[in-house]
Amino acid sequence: MGRMKKLLDQSLRPLVIYAMVVLAVSIPVYFLIIDWIWENELDKHHYAIREKLEKRLTSLNLPDAEVGEMIGVLDKVQPGFSFSEAVSPRPDSAYTLIRFDTFMNDREQFRCLLTDIRVNGKLFRVLVETNMEEIDETILAIAAVTVFFFVLLLAGFIYLNRKTALRIWRPFYDTLAGLHTFRLEKGIPPPLPESDVTEFADLNRSLAVLMDESLASYRQQKEFTENASHELQTPLAIVKSKLDLLLQSRSLDKPQMQLLEEAYQAINRVTRINKNLLLLARIEHAQFDEQADIAVPGILTELAAQFSDRFENSSITYTEDAQELVLAANPVLLEILVTNLLVNAVRYTPAGGHVQAYVGKRELSVFNTGTMPLQEASLFRRFTNVSSEHAGSGLGLAIAREICERYGWRISYRFEGGLHHFTVHF
Amino acid sequence: MKILIIEDEPELAADIATYLLSQGYLCEHAGTWMQAREKVELYRYDCILLDLMLPGGDGMDILDMLKDQGQQDGVIIISAKDDYDHKIRGLRAGADDYLAKPFHLPELAARIYSVIRRRNFANQNSIIQNELKVDLDARVVTVNGTLVALTRKELDLLLYFIGNRNRVIAKSALAEHLSGDIADMFDNHDFVYAHVKNLKKKLSDAGYGNYLKTIYATGYKWEG
Repeated sequence: MGRMKKLLDQSLRPLVIYAMVVLAVSIPVYFLIIDWIWENELDKHHYAIREKLEKRLTSLNLPDAEVGEMIGVLDKVQPGFSFSEAVSPRPDSAYTLIRFDTFMNDREQFRCLLTDIRVNGKLFRVLVETNMEEIDETILAIAAVTVFFFVLLLAGFIYLNRKTALRIWRPFYDTLAGLHTFRLEKGIPPPLPESDVTEFADLNRSLAVLMDESLASYRQQKEFTENASHELQTPLAIVKSKLDLLLQSRSLDKPQMQLLEEAYQAINRVTRINKNLLLLARIEHAQFDEQADIAVPGILTELAAQFSDRFENSSITYTEDAQELVLAANPVLLEILVTNLLVNAVRYTPAGGHVQAYVGKRELSVFNTGTMPLQEASLFRRFTNVSSEHAGSGLGLAIAREICERYGWRISYRFEGGLHHFTVHF
Repeated sequence: MKILIIEDEPELAADIATYLLSQGYLCEHAGTWMQAREKVELYRYDCILLDLMLPGGDGMDILDMLKDQGQQDGVIIISAKDDYDHKIRGLRAGADDYLAKPFHLPELAARIYSVIRRRNFANQNSIIQNELKVDLDARVVTVNGTLVALTRKELDLLLYFIGNRNRVIAKSALAEHLSGDIADMFDNHDFVYAHVKNLKKKLSDAGYGNYLKTIYATGYKWEG
């Protein structure tokens, strides 16, 4: 994935590029227009001068000889003019010329008009030259001005974008921030800001509907699990009682009794799974709100005592190393958590193995003898029994994790020194 | 001994009645809230089995009514609602016991037995069967006057058997009874065997007859 771009920069970029292109194109256009106006005006001016010169010289009514003298004087004195006698009339020519000017002592650009005037029937060739700004300097000046304005525009764009666009898009960012806090498990949609802009109001309305519907279907799904489990309790109770009655029959032979025992095992397993599903649904439902300060070592000792039969029966040695630790939590949930960890340890410890519980600073660990590491990724998921030989409900560790998540605790697993380590970090 | 079964599921009610009848109880059945109210208003029972979710109303109201009227009937709540809130609410309202569905019939019978004994034999609470005597207040067992030292679990087991006289009790029912909340977390009920064996040995050492029978593959039976 590439670098993420911000919305506001997105709207700014094409504007800046467009402004740059327009201003770049404007440089030659400005130049051409200025140049054209210059030349046009100078040509008009030159023709006017030619007309005036011809009229004034003619109105002097000088004798022919003096006309030649006068022209000679003008040729020498009048700046920008040069006269010469012409034999026959030639067409006028207007042109631009860059040359070194001895008077200005610099390279200069001139607009020139080469034309004829007739005084006393005599034809003279006249060249009128007017100094104008050099082409390169004009372009430079225009470019400099353009760049200046571009920088001005850019600064303006950025400033206005920050101010205006940010204000316009404010509701959008508020909505986004609201959405970030949305959690299905919490069950309440975050409040979205009011907006008098049609699109934002529309967006917020649609989002509110979407969140409400998600919440409703999430709730329904959870209720479904809970209701389904509840509905199963009664038929399970009936099956169980039928088995209890069947067991009383005097005519049962040995194979039938064996079948009956197997049926008991199965019904007990279904009962266990169903019970745990219900429990899971209730934890998710955010029941168990009450809190109390609970001494973890006390609860551990009390619960471990319930397992004494199991330990004895499987020749499992159990040791406890508990330091002082008091937690604020729901007593029932904490008991379930500790029980499930112990059950898990006892269930998977081979006969003659060892189970150890440790309560330390903000942690509770249960270790038990094992042969090989378990897959941590699937360990805490529902119905992923690591082995089929041990018939757990497939929910014990999932429930443990659910409880931990509820309180923001972290549950982890590792295999070390031939022991499975299950640790809860409070 | 008269038992009222307030339970809307007829199958379950019938099974309970069948089992309890074999234990010598007289059973009546109420399938709705209205029926239940009528019965508890008109008659007295030694023990009432009360389901909480009833067609027509909440079973808790029946319990409240009984307590308001100062009735002495024993009450065991049997409910599919297996959560601590309901359990605590029920016991606080005056129920003698709370049994979550699904349960084993011998478990129910043992609890009824215990409730009735507690209520009816408040002064001289002992069970005598042949040469066996159980003093429930002192929690002492004697055979022909000789004291038998039983552990808490063994005594518990003995009372359970006596409460289910002549019935075959499944191993899983015993396991559930002995280890309470964690019982149904395991499939292996071998530890039951150890307790039963110890109990049997202690009783026969004291001279008690072989009344506790092992039934092939499935469980045990107390004859008496």
